[in-house]
Amino acid sequence: MPLDTSTYSLALLRIDGRRWNDLRRLHAQIHTQEAADGSSYLEMGHTKVMCVVTGPAEPQAGQQKRGTAGGGGAGALGGGQKDAASIVVNVVVAGFSSVDRKRRGRNDRRIQEMEITIQKALAANLHTHLFPHSTITVSLHVLSQDGSLLAALINATTLALIDAGIPMTDYITACTAGSTSSYAAGDDSADPLLDLNTQEEQELPFLTVATLGDSDKVAALVCESRVQVSRLEGMLVVGVDGCRQVRRLLDGIVRAKGSKMIKEGVVQRSDLMAVSLEE
Amino acid sequence: MAQQTLLSPAELAYLHSSLSLSPPIRPDGRTSKQFRPLTAETGILPGTNGSARVCLADGTEAIVGVKAEIEKTADPLGDDGERYREYVKSASGVGGGDADEDRREARGEWLEMTVEIPGLRDDDAGTVFLAELLREALLADGELARKLWINRRFHWRLYLDILLISPPLSYPLPLLSLTTHLALLATRLPRLKSEGDEDPMFDDDWEAAPFLYPRQGAAAGSRPSITLLVVAVGDSILFDPSKEELAVADSALAVSLCEVRRERGQGSMEVDSGRELRLVAMRTIDPPSRLTPPGVPSTANLAASGTADVPLQQKQQQTADEAPQEGVWKAPLGGTPFAVLDSIIQAVLEKGGVADEVLDGLEGVDLT
Amino acid sequence: MPREAEPSLSERTFTLQAISEGLRVLAKVSAEVTVPFPDRPFDGIFQITSELGPMVAPSYEVNRPTETEVLLARLLEKTIRRSGALDTESLCLVAGQKCWSVRVDLHVLSADGNLIDSACFAVVAALRHFRKPDTSIEGETLTVYTPAEREPVPLSWLHSPFCATFDFFGDEGDIVVVDTTWLEEQLRVASCTFSLNKHGEICQISKLGGRPIEATLVIQCAQMALDKVKEFTDLLDAKLAEDAKRRDKGGLMAELSAENDR
Repeated sequence: MPLDTSTYSLALLRIDGRRWNDLRRLHAQIHTQEAADGSSYLEMGHTKVMCVVTGPAEPQAGQQKRGTAGGGGAGALGGGQKDAASIVVNVVVAGFSSVDRKRRGRNDRRIQEMEITIQKALAANLHTHLFPHSTITVSLHVLSQDGSLLAALINATTLALIDAGIPMTDYITACTAGSTSSYAAGDDSADPLLDLNTQEEQELPFLTVATLGDSDKVAALVCESRVQVSRLEGMLVVGVDGCRQVRRLLDGIVRAKGSKMIKEGVVQRSDLMAVSLEE
Repeated sequence: MAQQTLLSPAELAYLHSSLSLSPPIRPDGRTSKQFRPLTAETGILPGTNGSARVCLADGTEAIVGVKAEIEKTADPLGDDGERYREYVKSASGVGGGDADEDRREARGEWLEMTVEIPGLRDDDAGTVFLAELLREALLADGELARKLWINRRFHWRLYLDILLISPPLSYPLPLLSLTTHLALLATRLPRLKSEGDEDPMFDDDWEAAPFLYPRQGAAAGSRPSITLLVVAVGDSILFDPSKEELAVADSALAVSLCEVRRERGQGSMEVDSGRELRLVAMRTIDPPSRLTPPGVPSTANLAASGTADVPLQQKQQQTADEAPQEGVWKAPLGGTPFAVLDSIIQAVLEKGGVADEVLDGLEGVDLT
Repeated sequence: MPREAEPSLSERTFTLQAISEGLRVLAKVSAEVTVPFPDRPFDGIFQITSELGPMVAPSYEVNRPTETEVLLARLLEKTIRRSGALDTESLCLVAGQKCWSVRVDLHVLSADGNLIDSACFAVVAALRHFRKPDTSIEGETLTVYTPAEREPVPLSWLHSPFCATFDFFGDEGDIVVVDTTWLEEQLRVASCTFSLNKHGEICQISKLGGRPIEATLVIQCAQMALDKVKEFTDLLDAKLAEDAKRRDKGGLMAELSAENDR
């Protein structure tokens, strides 16, 4: 289904009217659910995901079995359960999430790969050694998809883990970056693009990058389309910068929620807190 | 699915006896016919034909999305069936377009339903059972399938995807059922522009799309069914049981009922007279209480009595005689007495009872 | 990286082996005529199957895909299938009715690290080495010729992508190592696989989690990966040329002659 993005070169505006370095509207909420240890809801444009974190808790008998069989499970941490918490990630893509209803089983390899990516990125970032003999279960629900799915899932997971109060090194934030040239064209005038939607993802080469905090460190990098190696640098730079923007937005959401909780008296204000309530 | 609670036999016995009192004393202070408070919203997902989200006060949350696709109706009789029908028509002298005749061919398989519960496989027996239970209740009145009929060659296929977002804290049946009910009420299908049996053409304007279930006051007809979970503990009948209450239930029943609106007379000023409740389906649910370990009476307890030889004898006696001892937990055995079933049905269908209360509550939800 | 690549003589399968280091991968290609998928009537069927069985290590169970297996399958899918290395339209014989179904079965005989790179090399090599029976269509009849009637033809191959995996070590993840053995893999803090062809087109990059790595290092690795891939391409081209020379005895007449080498 080829789409026409050739108009980009005329006005330098994308199909949805954004410039090359514009993120879509990012809306997020944390602590959306009372029953869960941590939860979040995140929208990146029309991509909408929900995340629920349970744990650290005692591993359930059934969970461990699924973990190894389903691929999203303990995996690399399976042997090290004695001295660190294992992380189980479940991604459920709702049948109604895309334009045409399509049911994806739990054994879909694309979903399993996303589960593994998120699980491994978290394993390196969370201080799991503080919770030996336990499991942190992350269940993600995709309600609506319009590009940048993996990025949205990673961002929602980060928020939910913050809500659950699980210690981590820094935020892991993600976004996508693309390039206006297709792989065949070797033109030098190609512009990098930030935060692609489904239409752009189908037509243009793109990658998903996740970085740690404000640094340039790449926690995860996934590219599934054909692109010249010379384009990589430009796309990566734009992607990393996008991650920084996302981090600022997420940080703002966490801080706003925190000060609201203090004002409402849900948590005690302590002198150690460096949060200014005037924000 | 309704997982085991970590309650000791003594706790189970205590809970059971306090719930058997009249009036029963529930752990969360509700009355026997009170639902947990819930928050609901509809139309949360613009990409679906209809969607709803419901959060119960205990924190469980569900989202339902409805998607509709056009599908060609396969003729069960093949071409011969077509010819046969033509023959019948010409013979009986009935002209074409006898819509009522055709509408009866609506089939239940046009509604597809999936339930996703985090941490459970999608082909888990419990999940499949839940989906089938809800589907059966929705189709039981026969109205829903008929609404999906477009013309003799085409029909809508309706996909109902139910997501339980939170971990399954209590048996999620009532939550999922109420969410499904709301999602169906919020479902709109594009307005049909074509006529008769030609290939269907639809109006592009979403604003003009009619609701699957016409708005209140507009027309008569049945509404999507709701399924309530009712348990019996001793002589008490409790609605919307929590996990702990389910763990001591003598019997649990999923009762599905639907509301049928009668045509209101012109100029009738009565507001609430149009509602008539119909019982459409009922299923017994295996309560997890059957799997709980039995308590040991203190007379048989080694630590309590302090003598070694007597308890063994008594224990054997205990297993032999079926009579339950007061204050000692024993998992319920056997089926549900007919009198209990009867009183459950009475309680459900009671005018101004729980069902009315729930339906009134759901009606208050703003449908967008 | 492949330490030795050997096209086998008797069959048209391709074995990649490095016996001394304990890594052996076998890829076998087969083709048969089937009916195309109804939603893609103009495309042939191309699939890659890989299974890690107990032969590799007792921890792999049959019918229970492990994480390694899922990732390997996805990687081969993205590198070879989705990048369009094989022209699937050329596999179509009669639109919507007949097409070739090409199937690659990957068997890992023994593994000692760097499974992905070698598996990818083996699959690409096997596909390029493979010859499918020649066919002709006259009117409505499709004829498939035996190798004796007509020389089998190679697949329509568009480009040869290869994988290069980099493993990162150290607290900062700044020590980069290629072609790690199994023992080394246990100690890595992160890994990143690039798939490219010799024209410098990236087909796929996957750094699936692990310790965060400086972005500049990732760019450097991409450049190194390109050099590695050029090496692979030369190696494979040389081996295939060698094999072709050995096979080419001067057509059917030479094969039918009663004389033998003795």
